[in-house]
Amino acid sequence: MPSSRRPTRRDFLYGLGATLGTAAFNSLLAAEARGPLDPRAGHHRPRAKACIFLYMEGGPSHIDTFDPKPKLDELHMKEFTRKDRFASAMASGKRYYVRSPFQFRRAGSSGLEIVEHLPRLARVADELCVYRGLQAESINHPTANYHMNTGNRFGGDPAIGSWVTYGLGTLNRNLPAFVVLPELNFPQGGAANWSNGFLPPHYQGTTLRPAGSPILDLRPPPGVTRQTQRRNLDLLQKLNASHRERHPDHGDLAARMDAYELAFRMQSEVPELIDTRGEDERTLELYGIDAPGDDGFGRRCLLARRLVERGVRFVQVYSSGWDSHDYLERSHGARFRAIDRPIAGLIQDLKRRGLLDETLIVWAGEFGRSPDNGMRGGKKAGRDHNAEAMCVWLAGGGVRGGHVVGATDEIGARAVERVHPLRDLHVTLLHLLGLDDNRLTYFHGGRFKQLSQFGGKVIGDLIA
Amino acid sequence: MRAIIGPAALTIWCLAFVAVCAGDQAEGEKPEAKQKREHASHARALQLLKQRCNVCHGDDADDVRGDLDLRTREGMLRGGETGPAIVPGDPEQSALFVAVTWRDPDLRMPPKENDRLSEAEVELIRRWIADGAPSVATPSGEAWTGPADGIPIATSGGLTPEWTDRRYAREAVWSFFPIARPRVPESDARHPVDAFIERRLAEKQLEPAPAADRVTLLRRATLDLTGLPPSPDEIEEFLGDESPDAFERVLDRLLASPRHGERMAQHWLDVVRYADTAGFSNDFERPHAWRYRDWVVRAFNIDLPFDRFVLEQIAGDEFPSADTDSVIATGYLRMGPWEHTGMSVKAVTRQQFLDDVTNSVGVTFLGHELRCARCHDHKFDPIPTRDYYSIQAIFAAAQFDEPETPFAEWEHTGRLDDVRRRVERLSSVDVLRGDPDEKNDALTRNKKKRKKYLDNAATRHLPRSFAVKTAKPEETHVLIGGALDTPADPVSPGVLTAVVDPAASAPAEVPGAARGRRLALARWIASADNTLTARVITNRVWQWHFGRGIVATPNNLGATGSRPTHPELLDWLASRLIDRNWSLKELHRLVMTSATYRRSGDHPEPERVAEVDPSNELRAWFPPRRLTAEELRDALLFSTGELSERMGGPGSFPEINWEAALQPRHVMGGIAPAYQPSTRPDERNRRTIYCFRIRTLADPMLEVLNRPGPDVSCERRDETTVTPQVFALFNGQFAHDRAIALARRLERSAEGLDARIELAFRLLFGRAPSAIEVELCREHVEEMTAYHRAHEPVKTTLPRKVTRQMIAEQSGEIFFWEETLPLMEEYVPDLKPWDVGPETRGLAELCLVLINSNELVHVY
Repeated sequence: MPSSRRPTRRDFLYGLGATLGTAAFNSLLAAEARGPLDPRAGHHRPRAKACIFLYMEGGPSHIDTFDPKPKLDELHMKEFTRKDRFASAMASGKRYYVRSPFQFRRAGSSGLEIVEHLPRLARVADELCVYRGLQAESINHPTANYHMNTGNRFGGDPAIGSWVTYGLGTLNRNLPAFVVLPELNFPQGGAANWSNGFLPPHYQGTTLRPAGSPILDLRPPPGVTRQTQRRNLDLLQKLNASHRERHPDHGDLAARMDAYELAFRMQSEVPELIDTRGEDERTLELYGIDAPGDDGFGRRCLLARRLVERGVRFVQVYSSGWDSHDYLERSHGARFRAIDRPIAGLIQDLKRRGLLDETLIVWAGEFGRSPDNGMRGGKKAGRDHNAEAMCVWLAGGGVRGGHVVGATDEIGARAVERVHPLRDLHVTLLHLLGLDDNRLTYFHGGRFKQLSQFGGKVIGDLIA
Repeated sequence: MRAIIGPAALTIWCLAFVAVCAGDQAEGEKPEAKQKREHASHARALQLLKQRCNVCHGDDADDVRGDLDLRTREGMLRGGETGPAIVPGDPEQSALFVAVTWRDPDLRMPPKENDRLSEAEVELIRRWIADGAPSVATPSGEAWTGPADGIPIATSGGLTPEWTDRRYAREAVWSFFPIARPRVPESDARHPVDAFIERRLAEKQLEPAPAADRVTLLRRATLDLTGLPPSPDEIEEFLGDESPDAFERVLDRLLASPRHGERMAQHWLDVVRYADTAGFSNDFERPHAWRYRDWVVRAFNIDLPFDRFVLEQIAGDEFPSADTDSVIATGYLRMGPWEHTGMSVKAVTRQQFLDDVTNSVGVTFLGHELRCARCHDHKFDPIPTRDYYSIQAIFAAAQFDEPETPFAEWEHTGRLDDVRRRVERLSSVDVLRGDPDEKNDALTRNKKKRKKYLDNAATRHLPRSFAVKTAKPEETHVLIGGALDTPADPVSPGVLTAVVDPAASAPAEVPGAARGRRLALARWIASADNTLTARVITNRVWQWHFGRGIVATPNNLGATGSRPTHPELLDWLASRLIDRNWSLKELHRLVMTSATYRRSGDHPEPERVAEVDPSNELRAWFPPRRLTAEELRDALLFSTGELSERMGGPGSFPEINWEAALQPRHVMGGIAPAYQPSTRPDERNRRTIYCFRIRTLADPMLEVLNRPGPDVSCERRDETTVTPQVFALFNGQFAHDRAIALARRLERSAEGLDARIELAFRLLFGRAPSAIEVELCREHVEEMTAYHRAHEPVKTTLPRKVTRQMIAEQSGEIFFWEETLPLMEEYVPDLKPWDVGPETRGLAELCLVLINSNELVHVY
C-alpha cells in the first residue's frame, strides 16, 4: 500500500546515497558535511565502543569445546543410516556417532564447562558468556561465512564491521575504521567476507596482511623515498589547485586532494602500528608470541588490542583450520594450542588496561559440528558440518560474564533451549555497540536494508 | 485474468471504495456524504493498523509483543505492558499515536524504517482517535487497500483477496502504463530532446549552461562511446573542421569503431554480472564464458536490434533455425554465481539457479526486482508471487549445457593456440614440492586439485559454449516463504500478468510443453507492446551518457525505484527506439546530437542552480564524472602507446599487484594455482574487458577504483574517494610502469623538455599546458633528474616460486610446500626504471604526477 510514500525524501536519498534512516536524518546531514567516517553517536547508550570478533574459520565443534555431551560416550561408534531429500550428501548414508576425545573441566566461580585443553582461557571463564542456542542456516563454508559475517548467505551485503562503522564512524581518521586480520590464506568466500556491500566504500574492511605489505601498495616501489614522493605530491597539488580554479563548483576535486594527504600520513602511521617491538616482555608472553603452538594468531590478537586502543571500531581476527572432518583429536587439539594463550592473553591485557569494559569480544565460527560422522573410508573420528547447533561466546562490554545461555539436545545435534537464529546474534552485537538494527538502515535495491535482513530480536540473556 | 475474490477475512473492516481522498474537507457537503467520507477514513486507519501492527500485536497468539493486542478496540483500550494504547478522543495522550509519529526515540512503531507510516497515514490514525476511535463495521464489499484515488490493476491474483484488489497510486505504477507517443513540445529548440528538456527548465526559469568547448566535447563523446580518450590527432582534426556537421561525423566515426562495442559491452556485463569463474568456495572456471562476452561486444558493434539482443540471450537455442552463435548468447542465463558441491542439496542448488535467473531477467530487461515476490506477493508493485513462479516455470525447462558450438566467422580465434599452450605449460611440470619426510596430505591433495583445475582450464580453446538447453521440466509450485519444503499451488509457465490497459497489450501464450517456453517469454519481453522493455534500455542508454538515467534506478522502474524526471521524454525516446528497429546506435546518435548533451559541465550561475536544482534533475548542465576503473586503466595504456587493440578470445592475464596475485586463494578445498600474468606485454596490456575475471580474485587496483563485484547486478557505478585509490595510483606498480612507458614515448616523439611536457599534456588531458604549468613541470623534471643521477634505481626481481602453507584438516598442523611459477621463466617484463637512464626516470616522475591528477580522472 505505501507505494508512493515520501517520494521526495526517497529521491533525495538517491542523490545522497547514504543515510542512517529518517530518524538520524539531520545528524546525517551534519555527518556528511564532516565526512562519512567521523565519529557519531549511535541510537542509544553503547555498552562497548569497539568490537573484536575472533573468527574460528571452518566450524569449531561445540561438542568438543564448550558444550560437553556425555551421552555420546554411550553411542560412540554406533552406526546408523540417514535418508532425507533435504539432507546434503555429506549428512546422508551410513554414519556413526563420535564421542568427544577430550575431557572437560569446570572453571571459574561460575563453573563453566570448558575443554581441558583451553586451560588459560579457563582462568578467565568468569568473563565469558557462552551461548549454546544459536542456529545458522548453511552448511557450506563460504555461504555460512557470508551469513555469519554479513547476514546474507549469498554474499554481496555489508559485513557487520561495515554496518558498525557506517553507524558510528571511527575515532582515528589516520587508520581504517574496520580492520581485518586474516591468516595468510583468506577464509573461504574471500574478501566478500569483509565487503562493504552496497554501503559506500569508506566502510569496507581493510585487511592488514600478516606477511608482506600490510596494506596493498602502502609503500611505493623500492627506491622511492619519502622526500621524492613529497615533491611529487607538492607538484600534484599545485596542478590540482589550478585545475580546481577552472572548475570551482566541483566538490569532488577537493575531496580527492585531501585523500592524497591522508594517504601520505597513513604511510607512516600504519608501519608504526604493526610494529610490536615496543611491547614489553610480559605482554608478548601473555599472547604466547613465539611460544609452542604459536601460528601467528597471538600476534594478530595483540595487534587487535593495539587497534582498538587507537580508536578502531571493529577488528576481526581469523584463526582457520577448524574443519575437522577426521581425526578430531589431533586437529582440534592443534587449534586449541594455537588459540588458548592468545585469547586468554587478550582478555587479560584488555582488562589490565581498563579496555575490557568498553570492548566487546566475540568468539564464533560459521557453524557447529555434528555428533555423528560419515564413513568415508573408515572411522576416523571426526565431525561434519552442523548449522542447527553451534556455540559462540561473548566477553567484555555489556556482556553477562560467567553464564551459559541456551542448550542443545542431549547429543548436541540441534539447539533446543533459548534458540535464536543467527540474525538475532547480529542484532545483539549492534545493540551492545549502541546501534538499533531496525534503524541502522540503508536504502538500496528498492528497500531499506539492514544487517538482520528483515529485523530480529536482541538476545537479552547475553547482556549484563 | 482477475482471480475470484474470496470472502474477506472476518477481522477486516470492509468498505466500498469511496473516491474521496480521506482528510479532504468538502464545502457544502451533504451529511450522508460526510458520514461516508469519515467512514472511509476510519476504515482505512483500521486497515492500516491491521496491516502494519497486528503481525506483532495480535496475529501470533504465542508471541504478542509488549503484551499488547491491537486486533480489537478492546485490546487497544486494555493496552499492554506500558498502559493503554489509545485514549479515544485524545490522540496526544494515546501511546499508539505517539508511537506512529516516531517523535519519541524510545517509542517508535512500526520499528522498521521499511514499515514506517507516511505523514498521511499518521494523520489517518490521528483522526480516527480524535473522532473517538470508533469500531467501523460496514456491509461487506470490496476490500479497501491502497490510496483512495488509486487505480486497480488486474493480475493473476495474490495470495489474499486484499492484495488482489488493492489499488495503486498512479505514479507508483507508471511503468505498467503503455508507452505513450507524446508530441514533441512546441519550442525554439531544434532538437526534440532539447524541446522536452527546455520545457521543464523554462518552468523553473533556469537557463541552461552554454555549450562545452570543442575539446571538452570531443573528450566526453569519445570516452562515452569508446571508453578511450581521443588521440591528439583526432583532437587536431576536430578543431580544424569548421563544417556544421563536424560533430555528427565524429559520432559516425566513434559509433563505427570496434572500440564502441567494447565500451557498451562493459556496461552490459555490469548488469548481467559477467565473470570467467563461478564463485563461492570452488570458484570453478567457466572456460567458455568468453564467447558470451565476445558475442555481446559484437552485438553492440553490429548494432544488433535490441529486441533480437533480448531474444537470443533468453532463447538463442530455441529458434526454429538456431544460428550457431545464438546459442552462445544463452550464457546470459547462467551468469550468476553458482556452485554445487558434495555438501550441497541438489534440489536446493537447482532452486538457487531458478531464483537467480528469474530475478536476473526481471532486473536486466524489465527493470523490476522480481525476487521481492519470491516469498510473498510484492509489497509495492503489482507482481503476485504466482507470477514469480510462473516465470520460474519457464526456466524449469532449462538445464545447463556446454554443447559443441563451431566457431562463427566473427569470433576471435586467433589466440587459441597461445591459450592452449599456456595451460599446457602450467600442467607440464610438477610444480608443487613439499618436504617428503612429512606425511604431507595437504600436498597430495593440492596436486590433485591443481590437476582438476587445470584440466578444466585446458578446454578454453575448444568449440563449446556456456549455454542452456531445453529439457524435461520440473513441476513448479508457488513456494510459500520461498521455502522448497512448503510447495503450495502448482503453476504453469507464464509471464507478468499486471495489465493497466488490456486493449494495448497482447497476452503471451506460453506453451506447456518444454520447448518454446523461453522463446515465448523472450518474445513477450522483446515485444513493442511490453511497457517495460523499451523504457528500461532507453533509460540505461541515457544513463550511459549523462551519468544518471531519466529514472535514477535503472534496475528498478517499480514503485520503490525513483520516478522519471522527464517521463514524456523517456516515452518519446523509447517509442522512437522501437520505430527505428530497436537500433541502439540510432538512439546514441539522437541523444548525443542534442544541445543538452553538448552543454558545459560548469554552469555560469552556480548559486541559482544550487537553489533551484541542486541534483541537476533538470539537466541544465552536463554532470562531470570520474573515469571508471576500466577507462582509467585502458586510457593510461592508450596514452603510453602500450594498449593492444586485439579483440576477443579467452581472457588475458594482466599484471596485477604481485602480493594479491600470489595471495593464497581457496578453491576446491585446496589452494588455487598461483595467478601468473600473461608472459608477453601485448597480451597483458589489452583492454580490461578482455581480462580474465576471477570472482574470488579481484584486480585490487580496479576494485578500489569502484569496479563492482561480479556477484550482484550493477546498475550504476559508484564514484568514491578513498585512500586505497591513492595507494594504487601513487604507489602501485601499474602506475609506475605506465609512467616509465609514457616518459619513453615522450622522449621518442618529441625533442626537448618543453616539447615533451607539452606532448604529455596533450596525450593525457587533450590540451596544451599553460606557460606556468610548463615552468612548474620543467623545474620538477630537472630536480628529479638530478636526484636520479645521484641515485641508482633499486632493481627488483619477479618471483619464480611461492611458498604455500595450509593447516591440514587431518592433523591441525601447518604444512608448507613450494609452488614454482613456470610462466615466469619466459616472462617479458614491462619497461622498468633500471632499463632507462636518469633523464627518463626524472621525466617519469612528472608522468606519475600527471597520471594521478584530477584533470586526468575526470570527464567534463
